[in-house]
Amino acid sequence: MLTESTVTFIALGAIFAFSFYAVLGAGQLSLGQAGFASVAAYTSVLVAPDPDVVGDVPALLVALAVGMTAGAAAAVVLGLPTMHLRGVFLAIATLGFAEAVRIFVLNAEWTGGAQGMSVPKVVTPTIAWIVLAVVAYWFWRSGPTRYGRALEAIREDELAAGAMGIDVGRHRLGAFVTAGAVAGLYGVLWAYTVRLIGPADFGFTAAIDGLVTAMVGGTTIFVGPVLGSTFLTMIPEIQRALGVEAGWIRPFVAGLLLLVVILFLPGGLAGRIPRRLRVPSLHDGDRPELRTREHAPRGDVVVRLAGLSKDYGGVHAVRDVDLEIRSGELLGLIGPNGAGKTTLVNMISGLVAPSSGKADVLGVTAGRTPVHRVAAAGVSRTFQHSKLFGRLSALENVLVGGHLVTRPTLVRRLLWLPSARRDERAALTHAARCLDRVGMLDAATTRSNALSYGDQRRLEIARALAADPTLLILDEPAAGMNPVEAGELARLIRSLADDGLAVLLIEHNVSLVRQICDRVVVLDFGEIIAAGAPADVAADPRVVEAYLGTEA
Amino acid sequence: MQQLLNGLFIGSIYALFAVGFALVFGILDRLNLAHPAVFAASAFIGIELVTVGGLPFWAALPAVAVVGALLGLIVERVAFRPLKGRPDAHFAGLISSIAVAGMLIALLQWRYGAETRRFPADAFPATRFDVLGAQVTLLQVVIVAVCLTLVVGLTWLVARSRLGRGMRAVAENPTAARVLGVNVDRVTATTFAISAALGAVAGALFAMNVNSAQLGMGSAIELKGLAVIVVGGMGSLPGALVGGLLLGVAEVFAVQYLGSAWRDLIAFALLFGILLLRPQGLFGGRRARQV
Repeated sequence: MLTESTVTFIALGAIFAFSFYAVLGAGQLSLGQAGFASVAAYTSVLVAPDPDVVGDVPALLVALAVGMTAGAAAAVVLGLPTMHLRGVFLAIATLGFAEAVRIFVLNAEWTGGAQGMSVPKVVTPTIAWIVLAVVAYWFWRSGPTRYGRALEAIREDELAAGAMGIDVGRHRLGAFVTAGAVAGLYGVLWAYTVRLIGPADFGFTAAIDGLVTAMVGGTTIFVGPVLGSTFLTMIPEIQRALGVEAGWIRPFVAGLLLLVVILFLPGGLAGRIPRRLRVPSLHDGDRPELRTREHAPRGDVVVRLAGLSKDYGGVHAVRDVDLEIRSGELLGLIGPNGAGKTTLVNMISGLVAPSSGKADVLGVTAGRTPVHRVAAAGVSRTFQHSKLFGRLSALENVLVGGHLVTRPTLVRRLLWLPSARRDERAALTHAARCLDRVGMLDAATTRSNALSYGDQRRLEIARALAADPTLLILDEPAAGMNPVEAGELARLIRSLADDGLAVLLIEHNVSLVRQICDRVVVLDFGEIIAAGAPADVAADPRVVEAYLGTEA
Repeated sequence: MQQLLNGLFIGSIYALFAVGFALVFGILDRLNLAHPAVFAASAFIGIELVTVGGLPFWAALPAVAVVGALLGLIVERVAFRPLKGRPDAHFAGLISSIAVAGMLIALLQWRYGAETRRFPADAFPATRFDVLGAQVTLLQVVIVAVCLTLVVGLTWLVARSRLGRGMRAVAENPTAARVLGVNVDRVTATTFAISAALGAVAGALFAMNVNSAQLGMGSAIELKGLAVIVVGGMGSLPGALVGGLLLGVAEVFAVQYLGSAWRDLIAFALLFGILLLRPQGLFGGRRARQV
């Protein structure tokens, strides 16, 4: 049953599945890998020397290098114009690319057209498995790095990932190019295995096979593609061994098994493997706090808004707002529903560009600067509807939050340098401290979407704190909390401001705001109607009117 | 003129097929990759109904639509409903529908074998018309009429009827729709049934147009259907109609001026151009998702 060719094809299938894994892990669905493989296979066969002249292994090495480069280059060419596409749009665009490559190959002279191109068979099972091991090594080592976590964060929630300072575009392109390079390796190995390559080898069916292998195996842990490929390659072999040969039964059973796996094993075959994550002890030596920037001294202006407005097609969400926020100040922003509070903080954090006016936030112009740069300048926030990375544990969420204050570890981890381990442990300790600060260290290994509502809000604050921000924006953090929880939260927020952070707190709970804020700004219909000390603002007749309406 | 008409005939079938894709995507935000398998299955079933059952070809169409609707219900129940609420439902739905498609094609292979099937020679009336110097058969007129009627009818259904209101409510926000008393599961199932019924009629018409049915015919049209809905705007029904006709005409002219080798490239050139220049498609509205 385990013939030489079966063993080889398991490895090839797994390598191809890894090229899907590379992008699926970052939440992208690309079907262009067959196109990358095709480009790589034909280019390398054309360029690489003849194995009979230079020997099998040197020829294959050259071909692999050429193929990997060609695949990666094709991914860049396709990726740059299509990276702004999402979900199925990206899938269809990349599928279109693969199909265009196929039609080109079919009609070009040098590729042999439909007849195909004959290639010497050089690949042995050993070679195929060595290449697979190298590819798997890459994904194994890159998973638990800053880069790997950033990709996972993008998969879970792109917007929140950007707000944590992750350059979403660059990371997505990076994943795409990895997919191209790995698909290139597959294309070359395939060519030097099957003796004759034709355009049909890299068609729609091939792309679907690769996707299916990756999904069946599981896309959250690096052994997934290997399991998926073994499973799908072995089905026909086992069926043959059992004597189930009738033409239609084989595809039927294959389809049935595929359905069963995808319906009943969420996360694929590898989804059953638990992810290990050691929660560090807080007294693990005396690691220094992770910091990147010099915080503005207490009392310095960190945000200066001048005439800031936002219109949505005639609706003035925010109108002509002038506001300064100072370091060490806890500023409350209140106002009735629909007053424009969230729009205002979206403009400050760079998610929404103002229609007019200027927002100078820690030296960058928010709205004209990509979100991750605003975050890098020292702005960190929570969201009104919590935007956690749902399938990651609480601790991992906070680790992503620490993206800006930790150092990249990918290359060093690939090389097994001890400094990478040190940096990873420092990041873990930092994340654990932030969790501890909001009192959630006990829940470190719980998946964030399994947490209670109040815990999710606190986790979001921990994640925001992990970025060591100068300005912390909290969008209704106490919503859905009971009075005891809200009281604890109030003490926490006050202590953050006392540490020297500038805190902008949006809250509906007016008594909480009165209790802890240094200064309160009231927004109504997009305009500031009152600002000042909490007691004065609460007594302001316009504020009472906005909240309770005028007496008739 | 002849070319233009030929393009419209094939294009109206593309449109009918793509409308099924667009309906499910527009309302449920899911790509149903079992749609092409239903398309192929109904072609074979249509041929069997005419050959063995002795139905005239026009009576076979409603019968095929019913079979298609049943298949659509099965696809929804088996491949999509169990995934409800899973975070990876988007990708998992692609895989589960591919799996169901594979099983369906396997069953076709069991029942009909791998050979090409044809309608009996006298199944279609030989009536021909002269339209502005071009030859048109009665069958072709029927194809265009059926396709246009169904697409327009569906657009009306979604825009005006109670069921259509339910569909649009589900498209906007399934949870809110449920709270407001819309039976989301039933609307979803109905959407799949209608979508598959249209795909089934498209399959039968396609088989009549080229007078053959093959196991691979579904995957051949699959990519074109995707191109059509991208060009038209993913969830847009009028967009799918215009996109389908546009693709049909463009292909016919590509064959004439560029040679048949490049015919299939047209769909992807269109697709790419649209995605880069106007990702929401010709008729699609942009759906913004923000904080």
